Amino acid sequence: MDIYLPIAGMSINFFLILGIGGLVGFLSGLFGVGGGFLLTPLMMMIGIPPAVAAASDSNQIVAAASSGAFAHWRLGNVDFKMGLIILAGGIFGGTIGVQFVKVLRAAGNFEFVMKVVYVLMLGLVGGAMFMESLRTILRSRNQGATAEVAVASEPKLGKLFAKLPLKMHFARSGLNTSAIFPFSIGTIVGVMAALLGVGGGFIMVPAMIYIIGMPTIAAIGTDLFQIVLTSANVTLQQAFVNKTVDLLLALILLFGSTIGAQFGAIAGKRLKGEQIRILLAIIVLVLTVKLFLDLVLTPSDLVSLAPAKGGGH
Amino acid sequence: MKRLLPLLLVLGLGYLWAAPAAAVAPEAKQKVLTAASKNLIEIGLSYRGDQIHFFGVNPVPGSDVVIRLTAEKEEDVKLSVKGRVGPFWMTVKQYEVSGSPFIYKIHTSKPLDRIISPETAQELELGYAAIKKKMKMHLARGEAAPEDADLVFKGLLKIKEEGNLYNIVQDPKRLEEAEGKLFKHYFRFPPAATEGRYLVESFCFTKGQLVGYGKDVIEIKKVGLENWMTQTSQNQPIFFGILAVVVALAAGLLVGVIFRKGGHH
Repeated sequence: MDIYLPIAGMSINFFLILGIGGLVGFLSGLFGVGGGFLLTPLMMMIGIPPAVAAASDSNQIVAAASSGAFAHWRLGNVDFKMGLIILAGGIFGGTIGVQFVKVLRAAGNFEFVMKVVYVLMLGLVGGAMFMESLRTILRSRNQGATAEVAVASEPKLGKLFAKLPLKMHFARSGLNTSAIFPFSIGTIVGVMAALLGVGGGFIMVPAMIYIIGMPTIAAIGTDLFQIVLTSANVTLQQAFVNKTVDLLLALILLFGSTIGAQFGAIAGKRLKGEQIRILLAIIVLVLTVKLFLDLVLTPSDLVSLAPAKGGGH
Repeated sequence: MKRLLPLLLVLGLGYLWAAPAAAVAPEAKQKVLTAASKNLIEIGLSYRGDQIHFFGVNPVPGSDVVIRLTAEKEEDVKLSVKGRVGPFWMTVKQYEVSGSPFIYKIHTSKPLDRIISPETAQELELGYAAIKKKMKMHLARGEAAPEDADLVFKGLLKIKEEGNLYNIVQDPKRLEEAEGKLFKHYFRFPPAATEGRYLVESFCFTKGQLVGYGKDVIEIKKVGLENWMTQTSQNQPIFFGILAVVVALAAGLLVGVIFRKGGHH
């Protein structure tokens, strides 16, 4: 069954999009990450123009994150004060990022820089996660009980950042810490959101837990809260400036990812934390290798259509 | 372009008298009567391209028929050319190409070069060689190289052929003729063929000379939801952006209520 996407201007199999949405939803349900970093490249692989892929992806993230954010808000897991400070950083970073993208696109190498950043970042995150979970698995095999203690210890970096000026009290997270670090991490993720079309949860959540020292559940709730607002902002900008939001595409992706996420959450309950992390690390590393090969192998087509419209975050 | 032809003809009359061999005025020739199975293609939700059948009467029985499909609008495209920089492949130059047709298909019952001379082909813009001569390349970035013209044209052809926007079929099975007088064929309009007006022109040649000409206009337009979404997103972007966010929020919250534990997490 084919469906015609009005803004992408192409006819594509309905179930292919639904399936990709389902796959990404499954992974996000399993790992608790947004999956934006998988969705945009996958959309481009099936021929959706990059600008439309990234913009519609942002639109889909608004929907996907809002249901989670709403649930966490009802359970009292959202630290609004922390969320707003990160959001301020995110909007600041996003604005810088959009300008950066504009410059790169004018030079014609946006895609190249995007892939290089992806390779560096995913390689680093994937590698670190792989080593960490491997160590945890080996340790728990040897000693059993001591594994949990290591995670519970106070993050050293967090203590250091807490000494910076602009101290604030964050009631929900039970923290007294400086606002400078949350704002900075928001800025960095904002730049990346613009450059790569990702939500940034896979960097934000570990940073909030391991560096700021927030409780895991508050970190996830707060992250979802700021993602809803950040991607709503990006969707609006894309619709105003580039006119590349394909609402129909976003809705099909949402439908698929919603169903996938339910199965992912069920599968997640049957696996141990470190098993899930090592699986995610492997997926991230495979994607890294694929992107790296794209950069160094001789392309099959030397000539390609340059995007006529702006966008691509 | 074709609409301008009569005007150009008048203006260029002096020139035409001086060089009669080079002048071909399709619309002054005998009319090829044609009929299309439809003249309007509507893009709806399940649109996946369409096919239109054409029937025609050859005014000069036995003459060779050449059919061409083009879009009324020409298109300006920008093409990136990749090159090696150290171990990496990245865009090293870009060309702006103008004058290339958006869609270009030709049906004949035998090879074009056995029907008309290269000069006639050039004048009537029939065949890829004529397209290549007509389109203009302008280097937008990087350093030009002598082989670029070929490289870029071949690259563009490949992109267009993969999208089924360009092709040339020289096969009697595709352009059927009965007793040298009646002919029938069909064009497939790929999903990438967007809204606009398309021209299907029939040329008849005897011994390389144009003896008949006919034209059909096919219109493609979006209808219903497709039309509404396209119009709204392009003409009322602020409303569309807000709508997209509101719809996404509503869908997300609805999902949260349905599953009670909230989507992804």
